[in-house]
Amino acid sequence: MIKARRKIGFYLLFKSKFWLIFVFGALLLGIRWTKGAVYLDFYSLLLKPILPGAAQREWIQEGDKFEKNIRLKLLEEDNTRLRRALSLQEFNNDKRISAAVISRSSSSWWQQLEINKGAKDGILKGQTVVGPGGLIGLVDSTTPLTSRIRLLTDPGHQIGVWIDRTKRHGLLTGMGTNRPKLIFLNKNSLAKIGDVVTTSPASTLLPPNLIIGIVQFVDEKALPSPFAIVQLTASPEAIDWVQVLRNNG
Amino acid sequence: MDRNSKNILFFCIAICLPLLSMLSPNWIKINGVSPCWPVVFLLPFSLKNAPWRSAMAGIFLGIFFDSFTVSDVSYVPSLLFLSLAWSQYGLRNKKIELFLNIGLMAILGTVVVGFSIWVQKIILHSTLRNNWFHSWSLYVLICEVIITGLLAPFFSSWLLSTYKKN
Repeated sequence: MIKARRKIGFYLLFKSKFWLIFVFGALLLGIRWTKGAVYLDFYSLLLKPILPGAAQREWIQEGDKFEKNIRLKLLEEDNTRLRRALSLQEFNNDKRISAAVISRSSSSWWQQLEINKGAKDGILKGQTVVGPGGLIGLVDSTTPLTSRIRLLTDPGHQIGVWIDRTKRHGLLTGMGTNRPKLIFLNKNSLAKIGDVVTTSPASTLLPPNLIIGIVQFVDEKALPSPFAIVQLTASPEAIDWVQVLRNNG
Repeated sequence: MDRNSKNILFFCIAICLPLLSMLSPNWIKINGVSPCWPVVFLLPFSLKNAPWRSAMAGIFLGIFFDSFTVSDVSYVPSLLFLSLAWSQYGLRNKKIELFLNIGLMAILGTVVVGFSIWVQKIILHSTLRNNWFHSWSLYVLICEVIITGLLAPFFSSWLLSTYKKN
């Protein structure tokens, strides 16, 4: 009897392919228990060659850039409209005069540039000069065909600036080196290394929100007022073309 | 001074001087610092001329170079002093066209001009008085002394010998 049962069991398990059903069932239970992990991994491996790659990433980045440009344009328009409403100085890209640097003295006793546009092209004393990277100086004098630019780094040259993060004003003073000194007007400057220094958004002398540099060092304990050392974003030594903004002067 | 000498002088003063100071070519610069051109031009003239003529040349040269700079600091005091000193030296010493002698005088002249500008800047700009050690001033002064010291023996000696020949 027992022998017969063993035979039946052996038959069912191996001869009638019942083991296949057993293995299949175990496999299903395994899949159920792992929540289909093996399938999902296998699926992801299969899809890997056709997943979005470098080209798709570029499309996405391009789209993102495009969207940001449109947003920037809309925000600029919005900003101009609000500035007009508040009667503040406007920053208009159309009022720029491009000029070439014809003489450079950026590491000497006098830190200045000569450009090939002058009073004949509408340049006036006191107008702002920008280069790739941001503000580089102000027009010091003009002739009919040329203008002399006094760089921000020239010793004693001072302009009012603003740190947007802390909403604090200061005086950017040229010290002869490539890193002018930012003297704060408040006792507590709250400035940190890496803060962006710009022209004041409420300035009536300079165009608003022009990037000047990045704070590199802060001395909060200095007397009579704290100061910071600013690394300029536009390097006059490497600039061959500048733009004069006709907003002020 | 004959016609030839006058032509050279006119060429140097009217064309070379503004052109060199404006162009400031990179191959005669050290770390972006040009030679002290007023010293290079004034030195031979002062050595060869009487004090009053040298002083006038110093003042005119100072006014001329001041017109190419942005601030109120002036070359005139230092150039006036140098022109008188060099003129006195030139009257007493006959062998002044020595190569190294000219170079040494140009170096000393550049130091005087540099210190004069430095002191004037400190007096005029109160912000510079907060810190008495100005790295930029030392940097410019040293570079200017080196490049003027290298250039003057050639250029100033040539001008001086041209004066003497004529």
